[in-house]
Amino acid sequence: MNKGTSLNNDTSENMKRSDEPIWWGLFSAGGVCFAVFVPAAILFIALLIPAGIIAPEALSFDRARSMLFSLPGLIFIGVVICLPLFHAAHRIRHGLHDLKLGKEHLNKRVTYGGAALLSALALVGFAVGIL
Amino acid sequence: MMTKKLSIQRYLPEQGNAPYWQDFDVPFDDSTSILDALNYVKEELDGSLTYRWSCRMAICGSCGVMINNTPKLGCNSFLREYEGPVKIAPLAHFPVEKDLIVDMEPFLDHLAAVQPYLIDDSRLIDDNEEGTQTYKQTPAQMEKYKQFAGCINCGLCYSACPQFGLNPEFLGPAALTLAHRYNLDSRDQGKKQRMAQMSREEGVWSCTFVGFCSAVCPKNVDPAAAVNQGKVESAKDMLIGIFKG
Ligand code: SF4
Ligand code: FES
Repeated sequence: MNKGTSLNNDTSENMKRSDEPIWWGLFSAGGVCFAVFVPAAILFIALLIPAGIIAPEALSFDRARSMLFSLPGLIFIGVVICLPLFHAAHRIRHGLHDLKLGKEHLNKRVTYGGAALLSALALVGFAVGIL
Repeated sequence: MMTKKLSIQRYLPEQGNAPYWQDFDVPFDDSTSILDALNYVKEELDGSLTYRWSCRMAICGSCGVMINNTPKLGCNSFLREYEGPVKIAPLAHFPVEKDLIVDMEPFLDHLAAVQPYLIDDSRLIDDNEEGTQTYKQTPAQMEKYKQFAGCINCGLCYSACPQFGLNPEFLGPAALTLAHRYNLDSRDQGKKQRMAQMSREEGVWSCTFVGFCSAVCPKNVDPAAAVNQGKVESAKDMLIGIFKG
């Protein structure tokens, strides 16, 4: 056995299951959202309505509020804010690893922690809105 | 005959500590492979040049080198494909022993770690019976793993993998592909044992799907696809574990 590799000593520490499937699952789900829902949201909110192609009343304050603070609004927050946040956090974390910046466990806390915090903020906003 | 300039990275540990580059002019035609060129250098110009080779036909997997910074089989790459001088160096991410010879031991350890052979304890019957039964497999069952069974253990994918470069403990493309290949084999019962290796941090989860392994593989094994299918398997395995408690 070569020094530096210790693959065959099956100590429990060595064979520990990675928690990566959780982050990878959120990353994959967020990737789909980034590809499908985020561009659609940008298209409607940031392009079609400002360009006047869709009447601005479509997103008048009252209408926007009633749409956002409903079940579809909650789904909207999930697929346009929360999951894309975890997707981005995952990319940043692995990017930092590739650039040999920071410490793995710290990077994980900061990136996923940030995504969780911002998601929580969006959900708190939602909760305040419907109450 | 035309000639081509070859820049070869030399390292002779008995003569000095640092590797250095040495240039050679080598005659070539359309059929001259990089391995032919190395053989020419050794026979005609400098007998001290050291490198590995055997089959000359992309089967044994021993002639891997970096050609202009890309991992390739020397016998499978031709001087005619290169404009200008050709740089030849030992495979990246492995410790160099001498000239173009690297220490493949870490790679072989990783292969061994995934138990790349049929595991089937139900076949250990009594001594008389052992070895008398043949396995049966339909073409459809074979098709499931055939794509991933063509590996010649050349190690090019490890030289291509930036994650293996960053962390030599990463099991790496070929080992994870082999694990997946046996997991997909209808004759095999060893998936559970291999899954533990695959689900480690240094298993499938160190892969960030760069994909260069599949680009350099001389046998079109597509290790990147195997590793990513392995991620799905590992994630399923975790979910099942959670539900089973
Ligand atoms: S997967 Fe391809 S590149 Fe990697 S060791 Fe096997 S044959 Fe070589
Ligand atoms: S000499 Fe056997 S693969 Fe090149």
